[in-house]
Amino acid sequence: MSSPAAKSAPAQARNGALLDVDGVFKHFGGIQAVNGATFGIAPGSITALIGPNGAGKTTLFNVVTGFYKGDRGAVTFDGNSIFRHAPYEIAQRGMVRTFQITKSLAAMPVIDNMMLAAPDQPGERFMNLIVRPGAVRSRESEVREQSMELLEVFNLTQLANAYAGTLSGGQRKLLELARALMARPKLLLLDEPMAGINPTLGKRLLEHMQRLRKEQGVTFLFIEHDMEVVMNHSDRVVVMAEGAVIAEGEPHEVRGDQRVIDAYLGETQEDSTT
Amino acid sequence: MYADGARFLAPRLRSKPPPVGTGRGVPEAPNEIDTPVMEAGHLTDAAPTAMRGRLEERLRQSPALAASLILIAIFIALVIGEGLHDVLQTTVNGLSLGAIYALGAVGLTLVYGILKLTNFAHGDFLTFGAYMAYLVNVTWGAPLVVAVFWAMAATALLGLLFERTLWGPMRRRRAGFLQLILMSIGLAFLLRAVIQWFWGTEIRSLDVDNTSSVEFLGLRVGETELIVIVVGIVVIAAVGLMLRYSLLGKRMRALSDDLDLAETSGIDTKRVILYTWIFSGALAGLAGVMAAATTNIRPELGFELLLPIFAAVILGGIGDAFGALAAGMVLGVMTEWSTLLIDARWKVAVGFVVLVVVLIIRPQGIFGKAKAI
Amino acid sequence: MSVDPTSVAPLAVTFEALTEPAFWIGVGVIAGIYTLLALGLQVNVGFTGIVNFGQAAFMAVGAYAMAILTVKAEINFWLALPLAVLITIAFGLLVGLPALRLRADYFAIATIAMAEVVRIFAQNARGLTGGNQGISCAEDDPTLCYFNEWREASDWINDNLVFFWSDPEDLFPLLLVVWATAIAATFALTYFTNTPWGRVLRAVREDEDAAMALGKRTLRFKLQSLALSATLGAIGGFFFALNLAAVYPINFEPLVTFFAFSVLILGGLANYKGVAVGAILFWFVLEGTRFIDLPDPPFTETRIAALRLAITGLLLIGLMAFRPQGLFGKKEEMVLGE
Repeated sequence: MSSPAAKSAPAQARNGALLDVDGVFKHFGGIQAVNGATFGIAPGSITALIGPNGAGKTTLFNVVTGFYKGDRGAVTFDGNSIFRHAPYEIAQRGMVRTFQITKSLAAMPVIDNMMLAAPDQPGERFMNLIVRPGAVRSRESEVREQSMELLEVFNLTQLANAYAGTLSGGQRKLLELARALMARPKLLLLDEPMAGINPTLGKRLLEHMQRLRKEQGVTFLFIEHDMEVVMNHSDRVVVMAEGAVIAEGEPHEVRGDQRVIDAYLGETQEDSTT
Repeated sequence: MYADGARFLAPRLRSKPPPVGTGRGVPEAPNEIDTPVMEAGHLTDAAPTAMRGRLEERLRQSPALAASLILIAIFIALVIGEGLHDVLQTTVNGLSLGAIYALGAVGLTLVYGILKLTNFAHGDFLTFGAYMAYLVNVTWGAPLVVAVFWAMAATALLGLLFERTLWGPMRRRRAGFLQLILMSIGLAFLLRAVIQWFWGTEIRSLDVDNTSSVEFLGLRVGETELIVIVVGIVVIAAVGLMLRYSLLGKRMRALSDDLDLAETSGIDTKRVILYTWIFSGALAGLAGVMAAATTNIRPELGFELLLPIFAAVILGGIGDAFGALAAGMVLGVMTEWSTLLIDARWKVAVGFVVLVVVLIIRPQGIFGKAKAI
Repeated sequence: MSVDPTSVAPLAVTFEALTEPAFWIGVGVIAGIYTLLALGLQVNVGFTGIVNFGQAAFMAVGAYAMAILTVKAEINFWLALPLAVLITIAFGLLVGLPALRLRADYFAIATIAMAEVVRIFAQNARGLTGGNQGISCAEDDPTLCYFNEWREASDWINDNLVFFWSDPEDLFPLLLVVWATAIAATFALTYFTNTPWGRVLRAVREDEDAAMALGKRTLRFKLQSLALSATLGAIGGFFFALNLAAVYPINFEPLVTFFAFSVLILGGLANYKGVAVGAILFWFVLEGTRFIDLPDPPFTETRIAALRLAITGLLLIGLMAFRPQGLFGKKEEMVLGE
């Protein structure tokens, strides 16, 4: 839990931003991976986070979600400071992430993957297993029902009892998204959701995002490299280079930004020399 | 920047080389970031630098310096409390014990670093070496020097044998870490069983004159101990230099970074692995003979040394030969120093306590770099 | 145990001992104890993915705490049992809190080192533990022993058995109680694992980061897992102590943990029912080598001990190479690696 003081820490907090990242720094040894990144995300938006390789996008994700502890800066989510809080606590507040390399829990059935993610499970407290088995059971059947509903939406019903490890790469991406939704997120952070899956599946994933935003008001922040996806499917784009946010705006604004072009050109030059 | 999603925080039970096909062509980005990322999981967070004192920052960056300062402080305190002579005498004893730890640790750390194998059978390699020396030195009556070389050769062969029959096939099957650890424990049992079958459980000793000693500045140093110290340091220094400067050493380092990648970049990994086992086995054999020469020979000899050796490996930083040397020596000396303050029967626990404390404070080791060989 | 080697003809192997109830009861008791120890390991290794190499320490702390509480603090045996369990849990949490942050291989080495520290402590803190002489009765009152209450209860059980069995073996009540506990533990753990709580444990085993990203406070679950195995280790330690009539440091060598691992792997990881079967098979074979009259020479006593060690070693190697999922483990839930 954060104090009110921490809440008001970012002086220039964008009013009404669901997630506000303000001057976040993170270094590893001598490498400054995130260098004062600042941006905000409006509720109900779909924001793409782009930038050349090594821009610090994933590191920023890790800092925001608590997997890395940032050096300094402020991160406010839904009005509360979450900077340097534990990952589980941040997730419980409604900011749920996926990983670049899909983390399906391979030796668990798909349905268990789903049910795991549900919040407020009395059965996760050891004592309740002994003293309140009834409450555990009734919530469990609720969770199972919700899981099946969601699997239905993602066309995974057939695979409910299959081990997650036996799924194809694309199915795993879908499962990870469905599982993240089970956690009832206000904000979903997706790290390259489109990477490594075929275009048809990618399209379906994007449709899901749009629908979830419309129907449930879920906000999205995703890292993406495919410019077509970024331009056509996001409301806003945040561009990072060398650990800092160099541009922020609507897709067409960002596209013409000279700094963005330079950053990407710089990358291609580096690539050709290495 | 790319592989970090999968690799941060503590590596998993089934820690493995990165998935095939993801990083092969483009090593530069993940490798640069890898080291700090791995550190980030264990390290206490780098504190805001401006606030802290410079000395503290220096010590944070160079734990070996910090450890040396602590050692010197302990040394001074002991000298004040117990007198210079006693402290020096125990230091010499400690160095001889430390040389054995260090030799065992170098062999273990090579296999650990390069093959990612936590070899619990390494202790019994030492035992095997000791009995091989006994066979030549006592049963056949040959001079000890011959016995030492024979023990080293035989133990190296043993390492090669198990690489061919067990570890190679298991590696090709991509066996998990626990699978390998349990297999090595099984191998440890098997080795000890074979030794016990042929030689029984009687306590034996090599044909060594343990009475002759050298007087030096009022210190009595056993001749055997002196030889153990000198040989230990020389051999490990040689191995360390080989690792750092020879082509084989560089290839070993490449394998230690990423075995799959080394293979695709044209290194004959099989050969390098065989050499790794030859070094590991020969050094274990040498350590076993040294332990046998300074104490005695029992089937449990190696297993009892295994944990302090593991301690030296971890303190030294996995894969780091010089780290293992320093850590082994420090552990040996600390163990002997402890006898000045507490009863000698407690000294076996000193290494473990140091290990546990260091694992808690600084899991990536003290004397090694985060990633070195 | 009590086999007279002189009565055996050279090169003849007799299996007479295998027909004696004493042999089977002995095997049964030790298999039951190892079932408990390995069940604890199953919770840790098979379902949480933490490689606990310190099970012997939990046994030691439990057994010594029980013995010291009854003999030195003169607390009633039946009260000392739960107290000793609590002490062992506290010890487990104390170890786990720092050590669970370590990567898997370091955790394994740290726990085995910790177990050795406990054993060396038991060896040397003579005032408290009796050192290598062990602890069984009070020094000033040889009639005050930790097993007194148990002996009474045991006799009572045997007295009531008279209707079924005219001359029951002394160890029979222990066998009953050990297995009643082991079976109850098996059922309880099976239940716990199939709950949301157990689901989080398995998620931690699969990928701790993923579990954290879904809002699970993983450290707490890992500590609970460790507390469970500490409990089972302590109970195993009690039975060990009651089986031997004294608690010695030598009972808690790392070998004990590795035997328990052999049992665990034989039965199969991520499977509770296999543990009991693995324990019975393993100890039937190991004790069998002791009771079968093997001709001496070449089978001297040390060679038979070596044989037991070799069997264990070959079993571990063979299982890891050819059947890493053990007898009953599911290939899909392979915890050892694909």
